[in-house]
Amino acid sequence: MVLGALTWVLGVFDISLDKLSNGELWLAQVFRGLSDGATYASVALALVMIYKSTGFINFAQGSLALLGVYLVYVFSVEQGLPVALAVVCAMVASSAVAMFVERVFIRPFPPDHVLPLVIVTLGLLLIIDSAVGIVWGFRTRSLPSMFPSGAPIEWGIAQLTWRTIGNLGTVFAVVGLLYLLLSRTKVGLAFRAVSSNLESARLVGIRVGPTLGFGWALAAAIGTLGGALVVPDLLLEPSIMLRVLIFSLAAAALGGLDSMVGAVIGGLVVGLARNLLVTFLDLSELALATAVAVILVVLLVRPTGLFGSTRVERV
Amino acid sequence: MSAAYLEVAGLKAAYGDIQVLHGIDFSVDEGQIAVILGANGAGKTTTLRALCAMVSTEGSIKLAGEELAGQRTADIVRRGVAHVPQGRGTFPDLSVEENLMTGAFVRTDAKVRADVEQWYETFPVLGERRNQAAGSLSGGEQQMLAIARALMLRPSLLLLDEPSLGLAPMITRSLFEQLTAINAAAGTTMLVVEQNAALALGVADVAYVLEAGEVALSGPADELAADDNVRRAYLGY
Amino acid sequence: MKAAVVAGSRQHRQRQVIGWVLFAVVVALIPFLIADTYSPTIFGNRYTVGLGNLSQAIALMVAILGLNIATGYSGQLSLGHSFFVGSGAYLSAVMVSEFHWSYLSTLGVVVPGLFLFGVIFGLPALRIQGLYLGLLTFAVAAVFPSIIRLENVANRTGGSNGLSIESDLEPPTWAPLDTVTEWLHAIPGVGSRVPDGLTGRQEEAVYKYFLLVIMAMVCFWLVRNILAGRVGRAFVAIRDNPLGAAASGVNLAAYKTLSFGISAAVGGVAGTMLAMHSGFVGPDEFGFSLAILLIVGLIVGGSGTLHGAVVGGLAIQYVPLWSSQTQTLPGTDVALEGPYGAAILGGLLIAITFALPGGAAHGFRRIKSRLMPVAPQPPGR
Repeated sequence: MVLGALTWVLGVFDISLDKLSNGELWLAQVFRGLSDGATYASVALALVMIYKSTGFINFAQGSLALLGVYLVYVFSVEQGLPVALAVVCAMVASSAVAMFVERVFIRPFPPDHVLPLVIVTLGLLLIIDSAVGIVWGFRTRSLPSMFPSGAPIEWGIAQLTWRTIGNLGTVFAVVGLLYLLLSRTKVGLAFRAVSSNLESARLVGIRVGPTLGFGWALAAAIGTLGGALVVPDLLLEPSIMLRVLIFSLAAAALGGLDSMVGAVIGGLVVGLARNLLVTFLDLSELALATAVAVILVVLLVRPTGLFGSTRVERV
Repeated sequence: MSAAYLEVAGLKAAYGDIQVLHGIDFSVDEGQIAVILGANGAGKTTTLRALCAMVSTEGSIKLAGEELAGQRTADIVRRGVAHVPQGRGTFPDLSVEENLMTGAFVRTDAKVRADVEQWYETFPVLGERRNQAAGSLSGGEQQMLAIARALMLRPSLLLLDEPSLGLAPMITRSLFEQLTAINAAAGTTMLVVEQNAALALGVADVAYVLEAGEVALSGPADELAADDNVRRAYLGY
Repeated sequence: MKAAVVAGSRQHRQRQVIGWVLFAVVVALIPFLIADTYSPTIFGNRYTVGLGNLSQAIALMVAILGLNIATGYSGQLSLGHSFFVGSGAYLSAVMVSEFHWSYLSTLGVVVPGLFLFGVIFGLPALRIQGLYLGLLTFAVAAVFPSIIRLENVANRTGGSNGLSIESDLEPPTWAPLDTVTEWLHAIPGVGSRVPDGLTGRQEEAVYKYFLLVIMAMVCFWLVRNILAGRVGRAFVAIRDNPLGAAASGVNLAAYKTLSFGISAAVGGVAGTMLAMHSGFVGPDEFGFSLAILLIVGLIVGGSGTLHGAVVGGLAIQYVPLWSSQTQTLPGTDVALEGPYGAAILGGLLIAITFALPGGAAHGFRRIKSRLMPVAPQPPGR
């Protein structure tokens, strides 16, 4: 009976056992999933940074990253800088933009009223996205990758490319550095204090505004880096980051909105789930739906994501 | 008359359209403990918040002769004003130790570490739980942590908003004993808002009674404790 | 300042009645005034008001009203209400064009169906809360177009091409639309705005407008009555203090799912109204851009108020439209090329949030209380 049920399920989803037993295909999809996942993870990290400090989701995060990626394009392709240097320059420039945006559009609002702030970030999304469209147009462009092409390890169709290795390495390095920054430095302590109790943070002399501005700058830099990882696999055009944003939001929710480790693991899981389910269940139209289903199941079991903290507070 | 350490004149404060303080005057001498009494809604908490620029204010607030009004909270804290807000003054997601370190955020001297250890001695329960998240502490332990956190600033003026809120009477008494000891040892000037009038008047040097955003009565604490109106309204005998 | 009128006094009631009558007259006259595509030119840009746009705005008001129940009143952040609106629209569209039902009779399926759907949707909300719920619902909203495009259902839904609904909403012969127009045209002064009789298309538009207005009024009236009573109080209690509400005997699970059910049913009606209005449904009309617009409308109008839904509906219909119609920098000949419409919309969103932090409904209420103060009834009567 179990066997019957299994063949029925396989039939419904049009799964061929050939495909399932193809180890190389598995491995190839795992590699692709990890590579995609690393890019989702980096944008999710940026979202988590803002959530941790302010308690809301910055819907303009993808747009700031989009701007950053276009800057990478300007610095590397148009100005001829080496790609890695161009990425660093773009990270600095997008941080500056983010600090400006935070100062002008975010800081005038009381930080504990979340809904107006969410609307403001939606407004920023529209403004930045269309500004990019106005300046650079809708022509698609290709962006060079920071990492060399080719694959050091190959098994048939499964290739572990330098890009995959580079994407994963970059994300882990970013998480490590962020962890050190938040747990070992005074700025990090201020940052966590502000996110834990705004009023008390003010009362111990922390300058809340600049601290949040710093968070925005850092998040924008990480987002730009994430964009610079993801775009070389696709093509650069003004709506590219919106798609990435949705998967990154999913990753952040999956991992837990206030956990950086969660953002990384969430990103990798979403990347893997997407590639594996789509390949083996033949669900190309439902790539996003499968991601949503995964999140739904995880959140039902753990309402604050895999690694998110339920606020411990004794009354 | 020489100027007092904290000299407040014509202090007004409002939340949006709602005026809470209608121009109050009071002063506290250096090293004194002052207590503010009053019914709910009289403006006690607002007074403390106004001193730290946590509400929009008008009027003059002079600390050791320097004007605080118009300055930002962060700069007032750098002048040595520590504030323990009502209820939760801790950072629930940070560990006990990180809470104390945050209290010394604006200090740049090398004695921060030693001060942390000193507070672990004063409140041993905090030392036992130094790596635990502050949010997991009991109400009384959190209140201790909040006060220790404020004192990590080595403040010259300590503002306490209902330190006894939610504490058992025994703990409240020992807390006030600690406060007088700190006041005696470090000469920290204190301004305390307190519902437990009997206890507060017992340790205070001067007292002010607020009614509907104005100072209704003021004077040395022992005189007020003997005042019939105060006894009837706040001491209940 | 004028002397305050006491609430519930005869004078106050009189003023309320006058207010409602004026409102009714305006609502009844507007379609005749703008049936002839009214499009004023401001600073060198032509902006359309258009009866069709107004009808669509009315449908959007109902959609925001639905969202308001779950999010504004019960505090369950839902960024996925476009899913309900889309489901309602597609249900009606398929039943009307495939099975030749009338639009109004499809409501018999849409309302209970979407209610049930909302209840199911609300079940995860019992566990998942706040922004997590928001993100989950947002993702669900983004999924809707791909469900419509699924091969298994594409032959019914029309897939990516959308579905044109083969049904005409023609005004019944007894409706004196043309006659009314002629009367209005005869009024000196104002009458020149009104066309001298209506074309067939205009008549249909006016008829649709009245149908939608009536449906919207019924929805608002029903929701108002639900919210004014026990159920409404339970919703607000859940929003403001779930623990306190539970301690006072409010069954959290039942009321949360109920709020999602009602919210989804109203959203479904809004979908039916949108289908009626345009006679066409397409998958991308109900994607996450609609979800975002609805939440924007909710907050711009004023979350947790019924008037807010009206303002919000108008705002999310006309602000994007007029933004995209701004072709030159106002007052100059400098042409705006590229996606300036979206940029203007974004700028307006931020400006509105700055100017009216509590939403438009809150702002109006303050102005009204300044101009026409109403004192609460003195106690002890």
